[in-house]
Amino acid sequence: MLRYLIRRSLIGLLTLSLITFIIYALIRQMPGNPATAQIAEMGLNKRITEEDMERINRSYGLDKPWHQGYMEWVRRLLTRRDLGRSFTHKKPVYALINERVGPTLLLSLTSLMLSYVLAGPLGLYSVVRANRTDERIMSTFLFMIYSLPTFVAALALLYFFYQRLGWLPLRGMSSENFDSMSPIQKLLDVGWHMILPVTCFTYGSLAYYARFIRSNMQEVIRQDYIRTARAKGVHPLFVVVRHAFRNTMIPMVTQLGLTLPTLLGGSVILEQIFTWPGMGRLFFESINTRDYPVIMGLTLIFSLLTLMGQLLADVLYAVVDPRIKLE
Amino acid sequence: MTADKETTLPATPARGYWAEVWRQFRKRRLSVIALWYIGFLSVVAVAAPLIAGTKPIVCRFEGKIYFPCLSYYNRGWEPGIFTKGKFRKEYSTKLKIMDPESWAVWPLIYQDPYRRVRDGEWPGQPGNPSGADGVPSRFNLLGTDQQGKDVFAQLVHGTTLALLVGFVSMGIAATIGIIVGALGGYFGGWVDMITSRITEVVMCIPTLILILAMIAILEQTTIWHMMAIIGITSWTSIARLTRGEFLKLRDAEFVNAARAIGVGEIRIMYRYILPNALAPILVPVTFGIASAILIETSLSFLGVGLQPPNPSWGTLLDSGRNNLALWWLIFFPGTAVFSAVLAYNLIGDGLLEATDPRLREGR
Repeated sequence: MLRYLIRRSLIGLLTLSLITFIIYALIRQMPGNPATAQIAEMGLNKRITEEDMERINRSYGLDKPWHQGYMEWVRRLLTRRDLGRSFTHKKPVYALINERVGPTLLLSLTSLMLSYVLAGPLGLYSVVRANRTDERIMSTFLFMIYSLPTFVAALALLYFFYQRLGWLPLRGMSSENFDSMSPIQKLLDVGWHMILPVTCFTYGSLAYYARFIRSNMQEVIRQDYIRTARAKGVHPLFVVVRHAFRNTMIPMVTQLGLTLPTLLGGSVILEQIFTWPGMGRLFFESINTRDYPVIMGLTLIFSLLTLMGQLLADVLYAVVDPRIKLE
Repeated sequence: MTADKETTLPATPARGYWAEVWRQFRKRRLSVIALWYIGFLSVVAVAAPLIAGTKPIVCRFEGKIYFPCLSYYNRGWEPGIFTKGKFRKEYSTKLKIMDPESWAVWPLIYQDPYRRVRDGEWPGQPGNPSGADGVPSRFNLLGTDQQGKDVFAQLVHGTTLALLVGFVSMGIAATIGIIVGALGGYFGGWVDMITSRITEVVMCIPTLILILAMIAILEQTTIWHMMAIIGITSWTSIARLTRGEFLKLRDAEFVNAARAIGVGEIRIMYRYILPNALAPILVPVTFGIASAILIETSLSFLGVGLQPPNPSWGTLLDSGRNNLALWWLIFFPGTAVFSAVLAYNLIGDGLLEATDPRLREGR
């Protein structure tokens, strides 16, 4: 087990450096740089002289060729555990990410919990009532909302609940008079702003997990031990819940590992629609402003989480299923 | 002798693998409907300039026959005679003025995906309204957008883009994925080590990061860039599945038999193994088409993909986001994206059940 972990970590480290190398190479090839992006954003027509440009480039550390820049980035990361400073926000990348991680986690954790809690009963229900009319309708409906793109759903929900009914807010995480509110009001205000984003975050994964449980259960339910349980007169409900459902937990647990990157990564498109101050939005902004240190910091975190998620999934797989041995 | 004859059953030729897959697939009514729907969309995509446009399908002008509608496929295909001089692409009015003898066959609906139709352009049809006045009407079946461009025309022409992106980008992804997966699965050993590692690295790079970074590099994004980028970022699941299939089949009896009669390695791979592995590989490809369409629309929606004059479902949705009150800018393109993605997912699901014998029993 230990040897396996060490080997996987080493391979993961190699993968990680490859990924960051590729991304660094790519983003340094993007036309424009932080300085020009800033000027374009402010709409200044003022021509900057070449000297100014050079000065700015030097201050951002962009005067060196990209491979040297990458080595520099790695060196700072390893020796000082420093991700650098954001060009546009004038803050250390750490601090910036620290600010943004909370809102994203708020959305993703809430929606993860909701989808796990709701998917179980839904999946069980569709197995118990398999091939009856109500189950067919429910499964078809789940399949349909699974195919519904989140941005389409978000727009439709905004149209109804903001534009037509005026019940829910358009954007942001809090109202304008947030600072003058009492703690309870603040809580309610954030909750109120969370309803639509969380709904959009949840419905897709809910449908996915429910279908996942259903298809796994359908495989389990044909096993011999289920027939045995039925034959010895176990109540049909207990057969499904105790005998079958427990065994579908194995793939569910591994799924948990694979959701790790999305948990922190957020969703670029949803955070963009709802102007939610999270990680996905930060990433999108930093691509547009050519904020290399932020892009690199986020890439590092996202790919680290993806790798860790895969490792976690494999380890959990071995933990919950005694038939599987890691070598 | 007679006993022998009785045991040999009258030989009905065994159904081929593909026929069996098709027979299983047909059992799922929804998947078959989805297949028909995609067929319908493909017809719309190919025939878009015949359905909605402001350029004649065929016209005779100064003694020659032209097909101006082809320029919707490629701007360079517009006959030079219509772009030069006083004509300025105003087919509906100038054709008759400049050559009274001319005739033209027009598209079903006189609306343009690239520009607003003005007053007096077409007999009996007023100019397009814009903004909140652009509600669906007799002249603008699905309404108009902020600039007064017809939504129906944009949707129809956007279908071409969406389906093309789906097919071409998955074509690229399937080619890469099958080659990488086949090499790894068939040869094993260090080849497998390398290909698996490459697959893993690409899989770990968050797709959106990669796509956004690659798009940012390009000065101007064209459809072909988009398709190439989506293609080279989404081949990993195909590669993994292909690898598994090749691993399973490389020691099959018919492969060993082929090897024994001296068939070359490459030929074994694509003539013997690939046809038998193709049906399961089609499953991630179909799901991939759905996600490619989704990626294209989300990128246009975010405003990073194709730039606005190109009709795309995502661009329409983006204009809907900025004008939430104009429900037709959300509802119609939203339905288009949703139905296309749903159809491909249904087909993929049907294929999955048709090719996986484990799911078939007891049904």
